[in-house]
Amino acid sequence: MRYLIRRLGFFALTLWAAMTLNFFIPRMMPGSPEQALRDRFSKGGSVVTPEQLRTVLAEFGFDPGKNLMLQYVEYLKSMVTAHWGVSIGSSLGVPVTQLIGDALPWTLGLVGISTVLAFALGTLIGTIAGWRRGGLIDGIVPPVFIVTSALPYFWVALLLISLFAIGNNPVLPNDFNYDQGLSPGFNGEFIGSVIKHGILPAATILITAVGGWILTMRNNMVTTLAEDYVRMARAKGIPNRKIMFGYAGRNAFLPNLSGFAMSLGFVISGTILVEYVFNYPGLGYMFYNATVSTDYPLLQALFLLVTLAVLICVLLCDFAVFLLDPRARTKG
Amino acid sequence: MRGIKRTAIAAVAIGLLAAGCGGGDKPIGNAASSTPPASTSTGGAGSGAYKKGGTVTIANVGGQTWPCQFNPFNPSVNQASNGFVYEPLTFVNVLKNGATTPMLATAFTWSANKDSITFTIRDGVKWSDGQPFSADDVVYTFNLMKQQPALDLYSLWTGAGLTSVAASGNKVTLKFKAPAEPYFFNFANQVMIVPKHIWSTGEAASKPATWANAKPIGTGPFTIGSCSANNIEYLANGNYWQPGKPYLAKVEYPAYLDNNPANLDLASGKAQWGGQYIPNIDKFYKAKSPENNYWFPPTANVAIVPNLDPSHKASSKLAVRQAIAYALDREQISKIGESGYQPAANQTGVVTPTFDKYFDKDALTAAGYDKPNQDKAKQLLQSAGYSSSNPLKLSVITVTGYTDWDASLAVVKQQLAAVGIELTVQDLQQQSFNQKLYTGDFDLAYYSQPGGPTPYYELRQLLYSKNSAPIGKQASSNYERYLNPEVDKLFDQYASADPDTQVKLIKQISGYMIKDVPLIPTTESVDWYQYNTKDIDGWPTQDNPYAQPAPYNIPDVGQVLANLYSKSAQK
Repeated sequence: MRYLIRRLGFFALTLWAAMTLNFFIPRMMPGSPEQALRDRFSKGGSVVTPEQLRTVLAEFGFDPGKNLMLQYVEYLKSMVTAHWGVSIGSSLGVPVTQLIGDALPWTLGLVGISTVLAFALGTLIGTIAGWRRGGLIDGIVPPVFIVTSALPYFWVALLLISLFAIGNNPVLPNDFNYDQGLSPGFNGEFIGSVIKHGILPAATILITAVGGWILTMRNNMVTTLAEDYVRMARAKGIPNRKIMFGYAGRNAFLPNLSGFAMSLGFVISGTILVEYVFNYPGLGYMFYNATVSTDYPLLQALFLLVTLAVLICVLLCDFAVFLLDPRARTKG
Repeated sequence: MRGIKRTAIAAVAIGLLAAGCGGGDKPIGNAASSTPPASTSTGGAGSGAYKKGGTVTIANVGGQTWPCQFNPFNPSVNQASNGFVYEPLTFVNVLKNGATTPMLATAFTWSANKDSITFTIRDGVKWSDGQPFSADDVVYTFNLMKQQPALDLYSLWTGAGLTSVAASGNKVTLKFKAPAEPYFFNFANQVMIVPKHIWSTGEAASKPATWANAKPIGTGPFTIGSCSANNIEYLANGNYWQPGKPYLAKVEYPAYLDNNPANLDLASGKAQWGGQYIPNIDKFYKAKSPENNYWFPPTANVAIVPNLDPSHKASSKLAVRQAIAYALDREQISKIGESGYQPAANQTGVVTPTFDKYFDKDALTAAGYDKPNQDKAKQLLQSAGYSSSNPLKLSVITVTGYTDWDASLAVVKQQLAAVGIELTVQDLQQQSFNQKLYTGDFDLAYYSQPGGPTPYYELRQLLYSKNSAPIGKQASSNYERYLNPEVDKLFDQYASADPDTQVKLIKQISGYMIKDVPLIPTTESVDWYQYNTKDIDGWPTQDNPYAQPAPYNIPDVGQVLANLYSKSAQK
């Protein structure tokens, strides 16, 4: 029990520390929301004085003159009560919750599904490759995917676009999350369009992410297969498939689990490059945009989400280890 | 992020191989041979020249998903409503020396000393909800800006000296403290008129600056059909006051986040109207279809901004600045750095050919700035005490990711090396760049500002002392910190001067550009504009520049939208 309480305490402390950093780091960046807005406006061809822009930003609740500690206390309060405010960047005046609400499902759908898929696929291939060490699968699949996982995201994305989305008869769309003519709803046409638009970006993430899982799973598998209990199982004449998944695979899988928990936590921060290249309106892209336009409220909320997601995933992983691993229980 | 930059650089590198097209002293482009006489003259006079129907899709990277807010006073989101839904009193055409087109006002008359102006408000205009438009709406709009300073984006009540706005019948009179002609561009062309019956009730009245305005009611050619984070669909306004217009039934405005997808969609014809920088445009875009066209009209300067504050020893020295100005071969910068898309600028600061009327070629030639002169540059450096044993070292700041500027600066660096100046190019992230530029923490900066309907606007931003600030404080646009009372006086005279004198004044001011070299223009910034004529026509072209053509030019976008028509709908 002390183990669990300690974990929870650690969670609260980390969360507070991360939230504090989330408040101060954006404010230490060069530039200010007013300067970003001025630059943006100037690119649109209009000249607005800095004083005027400050007046505009003040209407949206941005008050740079206020005492920083006071701002910090207000920030903590608003983060906890989920009053995340309105954007003061490129989407000036739009509630942060609405911005995130629009982007979150797409990121979760695209990056989440492809991350889980990459993990499942990688683990499976790794298990088989490790089981038949030196076999045909082990000889070809891991090296190929290790090479693809070393390729940069955006390069794979551009390659896929030029293969499937350009030319006289493009097979798949190169941008957006669904056809522009459609309005979102639960109907076959819309869902089909979403899937069609998701194939290329998902394939990009899959191709580049699966290699890592294959490699680690295969190596864990090889080590586990040398364990005495596996030899014991063989000696007892237990069917190969059962040894592969039930004895070796299950144990080889454990170290990968915490890595998977971490990567699930990071799903929420999206994959900026994939979203950029495919013009996929997810959170990763929003993160970038919020940084460029020094959009404190949006940045704070996004950071909070990422921090929470990672911490919660790690916490869950800790709990899982607590349940699965007797050593963790006795130690505590 | 790093990856994005790398792809962009790769694209530019490819672009450079095929450079050398265009350039010269003409705005380059390839105006479509079939230029229909777009009825631009006056609203109301044109009859329904074309049948209705068709859709145009815009590809312009806004760098954000759509917030679906259409408040015309919100500077972050009004690019999607101004011109589309909201209209100004009078449209001012930057590309035609500020020629005016009556919009919601049929006419205007200045008082003798130009400190008061009376607009005649158009009859028979209806808001898109069917309510009649009147002079009351105009007065309400301007007075709202007085009550809520946050709405007064162009500082009309504070900076421009507006003192009262009042209606009598269908006439609206704006009174100013002093001659106010230079602000005409702002209050007649950039202020969008909003309906009193909507804005005087509910949240619009209590919080007009932050009001979301999801379903805007305007007088413009289009209304919002539907909006999602991905796409805005505009539908033709059935109540539009220009008979027969708009011809198009729909406008699609997808939210492009990055150049790459937008450029691909333009090349494939999926989008027909672009406001994009496309590297290697002839091969990537033009060659894909004979119906793909582009035109890049220049409107302002891209310049090396030297820090004139005495604390910056080298850049505040006149001889050094002159040496740089003489050493630069601007044609070469345009050709190599900008692939010829941006024409070469000149030391007078007057953008040609857009503002030829104000261009003093003789003065430029007399000063020897009409062509590069390396010997003169070397002499000047020597006189300033620099030599090969004591070389002049300067650094220039620019923005990371502006790949064409990087390419231009690489050329500048070579050209300056030839006369013995060691230039270091510092690529800064946008925020750091802004901070340094605004507060004067640089030797040289590479920068461009928006222009206006005459060179006065850009030059005033750049050179007027009130737009400057001491080092360490944020300047509003005179970043080089040029302070010259004589030049200020010329700017002050401009406001009440007659048109001929105004031309003379601009020439005198550009004389100071030559004499004091407060700024070293290199190329001319352009409106990026691509258009596909397969189904849509009525585009602004080099032969018929009836408005600034890029979809991000507001309110010009409204002029273009009212004139576009679909060819397939004519059958």
